[in-house]
Amino acid sequence: MALAARRQDRQTIPVSFTLNGRQQEIDVEPHELLLDVVRDRLGLTGAKRSCDVEVCGACTLLVDGRPVSACTTLAFEVRGRSVLTIEGLAENGKLHPLQEAFIEHGGFQCGFCTPGMILAAKALLDENPDPSEAELKHFMHGNLCRCTGYKKIIESIMAAAKKMRA
Amino acid sequence: MQFQKEVEIRAPREKVWKFIWDVDRFIACVPGCKEAKTLEEGKRYSAIMTEKVGPFKVEFPTTIEVLERDELTHIKAQAAGADNKIGSRMKIDLDVNLRAENDNTILGFVAGVDILGKLAALGHGIIKRKADQVLDEFARSVKQKLEGDA
Amino acid sequence: MLGRFRLEEPEKLAEASELLGRYGESAKIYAGGTELLLAMKEGLVRYERLINVKKLGLNQIGSENGALKIGALCTHRELENSPLLQQRLPAFANLEHHVANVRVRQAGTLGGNLCFAEPHADPGTLLIALEAKMIAARGESTRAISAEAFFVDAFETSLAADELLTEIHVPAPDSERKCAYLKFGYLERPSVGVGIALSLRDGGVSDVRIAVGCAGPAPRRVPEAEALLSGKSKDEATRNLGQAGAIAGRASEAISDLHGAQDYKEHIVGVLLKRAFQSAVS
Repeated sequence: MALAARRQDRQTIPVSFTLNGRQQEIDVEPHELLLDVVRDRLGLTGAKRSCDVEVCGACTLLVDGRPVSACTTLAFEVRGRSVLTIEGLAENGKLHPLQEAFIEHGGFQCGFCTPGMILAAKALLDENPDPSEAELKHFMHGNLCRCTGYKKIIESIMAAAKKMRA
Repeated sequence: MQFQKEVEIRAPREKVWKFIWDVDRFIACVPGCKEAKTLEEGKRYSAIMTEKVGPFKVEFPTTIEVLERDELTHIKAQAAGADNKIGSRMKIDLDVNLRAENDNTILGFVAGVDILGKLAALGHGIIKRKADQVLDEFARSVKQKLEGDA
Repeated sequence: MLGRFRLEEPEKLAEASELLGRYGESAKIYAGGTELLLAMKEGLVRYERLINVKKLGLNQIGSENGALKIGALCTHRELENSPLLQQRLPAFANLEHHVANVRVRQAGTLGGNLCFAEPHADPGTLLIALEAKMIAARGESTRAISAEAFFVDAFETSLAADELLTEIHVPAPDSERKCAYLKFGYLERPSVGVGIALSLRDGGVSDVRIAVGCAGPAPRRVPEAEALLSGKSKDEATRNLGQAGAIAGRASEAISDLHGAQDYKEHIVGVLLKRAFQSAVS
């Protein structure tokens, strides 16, 4: 009885948002992190918990088209916003030019950083369709990769940018 | 981390020595230290060491063991504590030295401090500064109490 | 996982002040959360309540009589992209452009950065050199705190427990006023930062302001170094840079840690001061 009463006391916040283009309504507690909600409650495990301190970018999600560290974002903050995960990038089974470019140019090896990498790159190109290499590197500075040495990632993003501008 | 401090106290050695073993008054000189208890006279003591850096607070329930005791000249002690809320441990190796200089006493401390766990990751530099401050204040407090008593 | 807390979302400044006053140390202001949530995740701090201040409308950037007024809730991203800042204070816009990474800049606020007072941070240092004023509000009353007096120690500002930082005012920069900020570091956070502002007039340097940060527990203004450059010709000031740098290095209260040894940081302060000066006067 006491436990149920305590549970009733818990604050929940209704969060209405679009997830990969679809409307979602969930209730979250204030302390729930976006990464946990997306991975554990919504089953979208592309975003990874890696450093947990906003440094590596493996948890990158796009909120209103802008990259955020889902590991350090409270879930209720996406109310009224649109959220894009890697699972929502392809449309009707057709890969996004960035996804195609990463495949074609060898932009990933183990793939752990890749969802975050691609989403961050999408945010970059949506904001700046023709970035210089310096601008690309500055924007992508917060997405770390332990496998590729970054050269192929840069090539992939530049190739995708070229295709997307055409 | 190593710390060293020396303070000249206008009081004879016997008085300083006696003061050190007056656990309640001695511990009261350590900033943030409270609830000093004697577990075994002359051998084991306990206290709670607290410290605050901005929003970060630590509370280390600490046990102090006296390892060596040379009457009126030297004490060797070891203190150990853990703050389980934060997940940090602390260990201090302390050498206290007394020597007479005319009618005064030179009281010296040599402390080796180890902080383990999350607190250490927070900022080794910050901890060092804080520990330095604590030791400074402590030495000043001891001097004040002993000289004020005259 | 974060510990459970209650979320308060005041829509008026007076409400926020009242909440702070009522709940004291068991409540904390929450803006972007880029520092606070990390500390909470680590279990280093615990709060029963977080007071979300993002509904208070404190994210305006404007100009009044030439002086710039920056809302404390402006994100680093809003600041780096602000046309007004890029035009009137390019050195500050550039500083914001290089804060952390693009995700931290998206969520993190200038006010949060200043109030958390992490030693390894950029904005405070340049704001001291720019003679900025922090506007703190408590209920209906406000007061202005000079940037110089704002930073007390690591993670400690001169804000009272129930005060909220609402705005940052930067005095009107005129065309003769030059400034620059340089930082250095290979770790995730900057290791050394130097900010300088000066007036260049007829080949003479005057009204120099120098601030050093990141190396020590809090950013500091260095008047003794300023005195070596202020009121001198450009050439004489340049000749004094070495000595000014040494003074600034010692004034930084550099601590030996993972970011570098004390003498190394002091040396880097000198290097950055030289380069920042040259960048400002060129």
